[in-house]
Amino acid sequence: MSLLAVDVGGLTLKNPVLTASGCFGYGLEYDDFYDVAELGGICSKGLSLHPRAGNPPERICETPAGMLNAIGLANVGVEAFCKDKLPILRERGVTVVANIFASSVADFVAITERLNRETGVAAIELNVSCPNVTEGGIEFGKDARMAGEVTRAVRAATELPVWVKMSPEAGNIVAVARACEEAGADAITAINTIRGMSIDVEQSKLRLANRMGGFSGPALRPIALRIVWEIAAAVSIPVIAIGGISTTRDALEFLLAGARAVQVGTANFVDPSAAKRVLDGLREYCESKRIDVKSLIGSAR
Amino acid sequence: MSTRVLAKRRLVTLTLLRRESIGGLYHVLTFEDPDGSVALPGQFTMVRGAEWGDAPLLPRPMSYLSGGNTPSILIKVIGEGTVRMGRAEPGEPFTLLGPLGQPWRAPQPGRRVVLVAGGVGVAPLLFLARRLAQSGAPKPIAVYGGRSARDLPLDDELAELAELHTATEDGSRGTRGRVTDVLGELLAADQDVFTCGPDRMMAKVAELCAARDVPCEASLETPMACGYGVCLGCPVPTTDGAYVYACTQGPCIDARRVDWSRGDHAPKKGVHAPKGKS
Repeated sequence: MSLLAVDVGGLTLKNPVLTASGCFGYGLEYDDFYDVAELGGICSKGLSLHPRAGNPPERICETPAGMLNAIGLANVGVEAFCKDKLPILRERGVTVVANIFASSVADFVAITERLNRETGVAAIELNVSCPNVTEGGIEFGKDARMAGEVTRAVRAATELPVWVKMSPEAGNIVAVARACEEAGADAITAINTIRGMSIDVEQSKLRLANRMGGFSGPALRPIALRIVWEIAAAVSIPVIAIGGISTTRDALEFLLAGARAVQVGTANFVDPSAAKRVLDGLREYCESKRIDVKSLIGSAR
Repeated sequence: MSTRVLAKRRLVTLTLLRRESIGGLYHVLTFEDPDGSVALPGQFTMVRGAEWGDAPLLPRPMSYLSGGNTPSILIKVIGEGTVRMGRAEPGEPFTLLGPLGQPWRAPQPGRRVVLVAGGVGVAPLLFLARRLAQSGAPKPIAVYGGRSARDLPLDDELAELAELHTATEDGSRGTRGRVTDVLGELLAADQDVFTCGPDRMMAKVAELCAARDVPCEASLETPMACGYGVCLGCPVPTTDGAYVYACTQGPCIDARRVDWSRGDHAPKKGVHAPKGKS
């Protein structure tokens, strides 16, 4: 029995190290670096019903120990993903979590139904940090009722495990996580980026064309850890941690706080093999101490 | 050009062999690569101090000035990353991810190569000039401009490899004016232009070339986080209303494909951009 396998809401992952949506392309950009099938899984670039070109530049800027991005959810669309990306990932034995987003519950369901027709999708992760255009453009994830509604609709539309990725912008994130659990979510992913800004003082100009962007990177880690801690105490479904994880030590911090698995995000930009490094370090840690990773989960609580 | 089979990319930790301060804000950093970099002229590398910790977080995109066992880059000290690079001492470890991106295409047979450089944009053009000299190709023309004489790093080396014309805005070296003023005078129909520099300069170079039906290849400059096609932070608008990503579809690209009019992607201070400007 592997020391690293974990069960995430009915889905067994060979290890608890995944890569985060938006920070790992479609998992097909890594052939020069390592075999991504070694990972516990990869979360796809956020998929929409139709392709999206994304925001105009500037889309990114660096901040102290972090960065802001306003990519604008550029992606090939669910159809091209199913046709061009998924077959290769499936062939390679990659555990694929399809991250999806939409501006209405109906579109979330439509994307889910398209994914249902494919084999090789291990789970669906809902990005609820996007505005619900049918309800005045308020983000799904900011409101427990709306987050619950979209979770329930996707839950009813598929037999795949459903993960919901929390928006840290929610006033009461624990209430949102609970609502998603009640609506049938199999796991909670926490956290998405926090909105931030940066101004070029010399040119008196905003650094991002979109004005605001999602803040990520190591600087985010303590906030993510606090939220993971709170959610893990409040729900009985697994919590998958994300937020500034760059090293095995960072991953351990979240596991000890109660996360069942972790996602490596921005660190992939600094080192394409970041997730593999985290995994190798975790394996070494568990093997040298002869402990099952499951025994670490929540052990600091 | 994307059909070219490019060398495998590697992330390697290399030791800084030497840092040459070459006047003004410019330095050449040369690394020791026992395995040898197979970078082609026009390709770039993501460079970061191995001991920087969590800040500055991101690696800096830098055009290769040379490859082989002693790959080098040209930097201009502007932002947090280049400040550190400009102080680095021999023996300091750096991580380099590369070679990345599309190299310069081969010059078209029968055409005279014209290199149009602005400031640190000279790096990938010098690499190209050296390759052309090695292959026994006719000496190219080079047009090199900057704000003042201090902003023409490595001009002496370029003068050895090309028929050099210079332009400075303050007239402290060569023609007083812009590089494009000089290019406008000498550009001829049987030439093949390769350009790297500020966006506004490249836009004008592209315009001059298009008007005279001269092929023009530009090396794009944008901020980048990853350099290998996943962050999607480096879109450049194209004439067909879409974007190309400078890291994988560039940096070297047919200048006619770029929508220079939409170019608010000019490098800004403090935002790191390729060719050594952060």
